[in-house]
Amino acid sequence: MKRQPAEDAEWVRSAIRLYEGRLVRYVARTVGDTDRARDVVQEAFIKLCDQSADRLQDRVCEWLFTVCRNRALDLLRKDGRMTALNEQDLNMHPSGQPSPAVQAQRHDEMNRAKEFMDGLPQIQQEVVRLKFQEGLSYKEISHITSLSVSNVGVHIHNALKTLRERMRREEGTFEPGKELCSNEC
Amino acid sequence: MNANLDDPRLTAHALKELDSSEESAVEALLAASPEARQWVEDVRQTAERLAFHLGQEPCPMLEDRHLDCIDARLGCSSVARPTKPRRAFFWLPRLVEVTLVAALLVVLAAMLLPALSSAKKKARYMALMNDTSPTEFMHLEAATLQSAEFNTESYAHIDENAFVTARGNPLSTFSIDVDTASYALVRRFLRGGQLPPKDAVRIEEMLNYFSYDYPQPQGAAPFSVNVEVSGCPWNPNHRLMRIGLKGREVAVASRPPCNLVFLIDVSGSMDTPNKLPLLEESLKALVRELSAVDRVSIVTYAGAAGQLLEPTYGSQQRKILRALDKLQAGGSTHGSEGINLAYDLAARSFIEGGVNRVILCTDGDFNVGVTSPGDLRRLIEEKAKSGIFLSVLGFGMGNYKDSAMETLADRGNGNYAYIDSLAEGHKVLVEQLSGTLVTIAKDVKIQFEFNPARVSAYRLIGYENRKLRQEDFNDDEKDAGEIGAGHTVTALYEIVPRGKVVNVPRIDPLKYQLAPNPLPGASTDEIATIKLRYKEPREDESRLLTQAVVDPGSSYTQASRDFHFASAVAAFGMVLRDSPYRGTATLQDVAELAERGIGVDQEGYRREFLKLVEQARHLSSNSMRR
Repeated sequence: MKRQPAEDAEWVRSAIRLYEGRLVRYVARTVGDTDRARDVVQEAFIKLCDQSADRLQDRVCEWLFTVCRNRALDLLRKDGRMTALNEQDLNMHPSGQPSPAVQAQRHDEMNRAKEFMDGLPQIQQEVVRLKFQEGLSYKEISHITSLSVSNVGVHIHNALKTLRERMRREEGTFEPGKELCSNEC
Repeated sequence: MNANLDDPRLTAHALKELDSSEESAVEALLAASPEARQWVEDVRQTAERLAFHLGQEPCPMLEDRHLDCIDARLGCSSVARPTKPRRAFFWLPRLVEVTLVAALLVVLAAMLLPALSSAKKKARYMALMNDTSPTEFMHLEAATLQSAEFNTESYAHIDENAFVTARGNPLSTFSIDVDTASYALVRRFLRGGQLPPKDAVRIEEMLNYFSYDYPQPQGAAPFSVNVEVSGCPWNPNHRLMRIGLKGREVAVASRPPCNLVFLIDVSGSMDTPNKLPLLEESLKALVRELSAVDRVSIVTYAGAAGQLLEPTYGSQQRKILRALDKLQAGGSTHGSEGINLAYDLAARSFIEGGVNRVILCTDGDFNVGVTSPGDLRRLIEEKAKSGIFLSVLGFGMGNYKDSAMETLADRGNGNYAYIDSLAEGHKVLVEQLSGTLVTIAKDVKIQFEFNPARVSAYRLIGYENRKLRQEDFNDDEKDAGEIGAGHTVTALYEIVPRGKVVNVPRIDPLKYQLAPNPLPGASTDEIATIKLRYKEPREDESRLLTQAVVDPGSSYTQASRDFHFASAVAAFGMVLRDSPYRGTATLQDVAELAERGIGVDQEGYRREFLKLVEQARHLSSNSMRR
């Protein structure tokens, strides 16, 4: 059942509508700025135009995230913000000095999640976002990041250990109010 | 952390990611160790909070030049997206049809444009004026998220009602509820591209968002009681029983005079487009419905409370509207002083025999200051007894204290609605003005007695935080919900008929009960008797209504359209809550059931529901969880 070009175009456009925002958000966290993130996502969609809808079917989301991630890492390498050493560090050490764009975002009080995740190793942050922000499964995350499924599990487990403590300290128990008006001034 | 707890398999199990080969090992571990079970519970909670906070991060869209490049690659000359700006505020729904509202938008845009900081935002506001296409509807971005807000939303946890045996629990008692906030909240999440937190889904409020075609009351009672029993679409062995109450309509012309005090939160957190400006426009729409017999006052609170408008006749529109224009955010909240001032004004301009009401408009971030929550509750209850009721209108997100607001409205004998759009503001404050303001029966309680000879077990769907003890039914001191003029109240019971198997934990047989003989009622064909208690608005003694219920045995397809639609809404709620009771229901089923029940749908609310179901399906399949 050969697809018509018009159908393909519609398929790509539909993918854009569904995923563009999420992809830009995800890439922005890696490359540090939204504009470059958009460029990366644009390239991914252009690559999508060359793909066969039939072959990809419902793995489009996973495919797009993988392509975006690889391109984002390429960019960082080109920038010189990543050396061969750093790549290993990605897995072990807390992320380095954030870019000015990211620092500015810190002032944005909406970034509660980011505050919680501050200082977590880059790979943990990434895997946490893929799991809890994008709702992807361990298997999908392993495809996107080229980690093994059990590795993904370990990173999530470690991240949650830290996050549980931080959230508990910050907000007490997440038991939404039985009391009235318990807000502080 | 305990050595054997530091096991990623436990975490995987908590997140439903565990490989089946590991299941039995983990089950054994969980059975043996309470700490392990606690860890699993902690993981689930942390995951849910994390997902919530992460979900608040905005999703920046691509810009035109990016789309143009992709288009070029696709080899088409036509633009990939609609010509009007795609980004619009999520809270503007598709059906903005009322001319008045459109005019208000012009006013709104004109008012707000000078205050906006960038041309980009200006373009977005202009986009509000245009209709949004169906695809845009699905992807409206929550642009207002870019303002500074603390994320302290809270929803009371709900333990869903389980099936209980009719023999062990023949009585089911609950208070009615006409709040609709949960539906608006769920809608807000879905439009923002997120599945709602489970505890934000209150099925009874979703059911009651819609109006149903129940007949007007005939007798002395201020409302009619309508029961329909038919098949259960998510479990072919069960039956569904729907109770519908319809409050007497009050013609606009004969609406009693209203004495309204708007108590408005103008603290800094209210200063986003989805709060104070929206509130202003909604109230203006309400004010335009008022006349010379009505009275309006405005009290603001933030830091210190201030009277913005002394009691003014409803006919002095200009004066009231101008006062609303002066609403400006600033300071932190000090709610208690504001409330006292508001009640004082209400008492000063009290209308005997009229509607006297304080309408609290807030994003939940109201500080009680020196007054304790207990004192506040008592104040509100006391004032309600003296005839000044309290309603609550919730706005915005981030500081939203849903459970707190619901409780306040409850104590104040008023209702509680969440306003996320101009259309919703219009619905609550204009269309349903009579219902929102005119209470025709208060402290309305329902008690069912089920017949164990006909019913094996039953389950009340929703109303978890409305349940009453058996004894509370006849206790007039115990508070319950109100019915507004023209309002409908709907509740659903899922019934397991006698003879069908039901999964209910077994209770040991009793040893000491006096040997019971079945009472005469058991041998009738009644499956239950419904009793209602209500009070006339200014009375303190309740009145009783009783009606027997028979199951005619009709199939689901023979049920009324409203029955179909109501069951679709209930199924939707159960699926969103991932309820263990949803039987075979899927979002696909919900869509089909709802389609069947659409009917005339004059205001378009049911069609809007269908869109939300669609959006939920997209979100569920995109996350590729299932």
